[in-house]
Amino acid sequence: MVEPLVSVRNIKKYFDVGVGMLKAVDGISFDIYPGETFGLVGESGCGKSTAGRTIIRLYEPTHGEVIFNGRNIYQLSRQEMREVRKDFQMIFQDPYASLNPRMTVEEIISEPMEIHKVYKSSKERRNRVMELLNLVGLNEEHALRFPHEFSGGQRQRVGIARALALNPKFIVCDEPISALDVSIQAQVVNLLKKLQDELGLTYLFIAHDLSMVRYISDRVGVMYLGHMMEVAKSEELYQNPIHPYTKALLSAIPIPDPKIQRNRQRIELEGDVPSPINPPNSCRFVDRCPYATDVCRKSTPKLEEIKEGHFVACHRAREF
Amino acid sequence: MERLLEVKDLAVSFQTYYGEVEAVRGISFHVNKGETVAIVGESGCGKSVTANSIMQLLPMPPAFYKRGQILFEGEDIVKKSEKEMQRIRGNKISMIFQDPMTSLNPTMKVGKQIVEGLKKHQKLSSSQAEKKAIEMLELVAVPQPEKRIKQYPHEFSGGMRQRVMIALAMVSNPRLLIADEPTTALDVTVQAQILDLMKEIQEKLGTSIILITHDLGVVADMCDRVIVMYAGKILEEGTVDEIFENPKHPYTRKLLGSVPRLDMDRSETLFSIKGTPPDLYKPPKGCPFFDRCDKAMVICKDHMPGKASHSKSHYSSCWLNHPMAKKDAEGSEE
Repeated sequence: MVEPLVSVRNIKKYFDVGVGMLKAVDGISFDIYPGETFGLVGESGCGKSTAGRTIIRLYEPTHGEVIFNGRNIYQLSRQEMREVRKDFQMIFQDPYASLNPRMTVEEIISEPMEIHKVYKSSKERRNRVMELLNLVGLNEEHALRFPHEFSGGQRQRVGIARALALNPKFIVCDEPISALDVSIQAQVVNLLKKLQDELGLTYLFIAHDLSMVRYISDRVGVMYLGHMMEVAKSEELYQNPIHPYTKALLSAIPIPDPKIQRNRQRIELEGDVPSPINPPNSCRFVDRCPYATDVCRKSTPKLEEIKEGHFVACHRAREF
Repeated sequence: MERLLEVKDLAVSFQTYYGEVEAVRGISFHVNKGETVAIVGESGCGKSVTANSIMQLLPMPPAFYKRGQILFEGEDIVKKSEKEMQRIRGNKISMIFQDPMTSLNPTMKVGKQIVEGLKKHQKLSSSQAEKKAIEMLELVAVPQPEKRIKQYPHEFSGGMRQRVMIALAMVSNPRLLIADEPTTALDVTVQAQILDLMKEIQEKLGTSIILITHDLGVVADMCDRVIVMYAGKILEEGTVDEIFENPKHPYTRKLLGSVPRLDMDRSETLFSIKGTPPDLYKPPKGCPFFDRCDKAMVICKDHMPGKASHSKSHYSSCWLNHPMAKKDAEGSEE
């Protein structure tokens, strides 16, 4: 049995918004194994980005623990945390906003190495920058340019090079391709896959584009209003979704093939996602679920293993 | 089929400090009554400029019509004055935009925004207009419309706002609805609701729709015909089935191959298109896809290919599809 690299245990992140507690992430647990890509999907406001940030402690958690390499990183001091941080990095959604416009690409990529004092001489550091640029499909000429001189796809490559600078083990990719055009998305996804193979990286891939998540992830978790609704292997989740929300979500994605798309039946969801401020103690999906019964209104279902490796949080999961 | 809109050799440029940006470089297409035509392409390909120039919504200057005609019900929009356009906009041609938050007035109650258009175009009295506004919100399935017309846009969710936008666009029963990325800002489940709503309204009212999008799934779901744009040119056009099943232009093929599908094998690699689209300050003389195309030939560099016809509705602009070409775009010898 392989030990998980990251083990997320019942993490919660609440924000006090004045009128109540906004429960962005409300007790989610899952494991990520070395070398795999764990996809986290859900609609806007479901807490997937907050979860990603809380896991690497960019947000101070309200509750829970994250075991990384055998240590609970939520209990580490600032000093210890700094050491551990080298091992996890993040790639952001907006390649325009996540690079400092006043720094050259070389400065951007070498900054993490300077902070952690990994190289003694600037020459060594420079060599490493060039190596990283080549790795992500840019070249040495790009080092002295500024972010505005690059296209969106190239900027995302710079962001990836920066994330790789400290040889991390685990990378949180928060919607890394949603701001890019389709033809460029494929370039970046293929690059992420190639880097994973070469460097043995582990990814947490957060996105709302379910077809892309299915393509890149080994296992996928579906979130809704701060709760994890279903976790399964990627093929299993897409072929045999159990949770009514996952089913509706999958049926809503249009398939780029007119013959198939014309004959598909959509499961239409009524209404919108309710507010995450002071949510009631019920299944989060109850108001929009066509199968809801009394028990769904009275208690929150736990995430349980229904089939091997297939976890579902639904009171009626065994009936489906 | 009767033609509602016909665009002939339209070219639109922007005059900037650095020179002229040729955003749309001579495109021709038509929209029939009651059909949905998709314009697909990547950012910067000119699809939104095309849409805005049909509505004369581009700021002029810096934008200007360089040449061409936009015939709407036989009349040329390019030649219309602002005053004449005001009678067409929102009345015969309507538009909905990507971001419903920025296209609704945040300081005005939703009902008033709908009533405004009704009073202007249909000369209704206030009470008649309010009644009609409630009817319109019912049409787009906004619950409790009597209560909702008294609320402000911020009290609506993204999906509900887009419904209000559609209600606004449809009040005067336009012949043509231009939808510029109408669901891009929405979640998939809400997107599904809005797409169904648009289809339903189209069936009821017989409106023609130009749908601008980069989401090929939405195209397959909604449209009758597809126009593929790249760097200000139309590279291919055809019915949905022709484009998805038998794409003839290398760019269309690559574009279709670069999106993962829910039913595809995970071990397949995605096609990626190397490089980026050309700069439209100095657009290439020949085929704009030349330096990204792996089937490019010498002739492609300096000469733009003409339209080759594959069926009555299917055209592409690629030298490989020229009748004299030895190989076709699939690379097989004929």
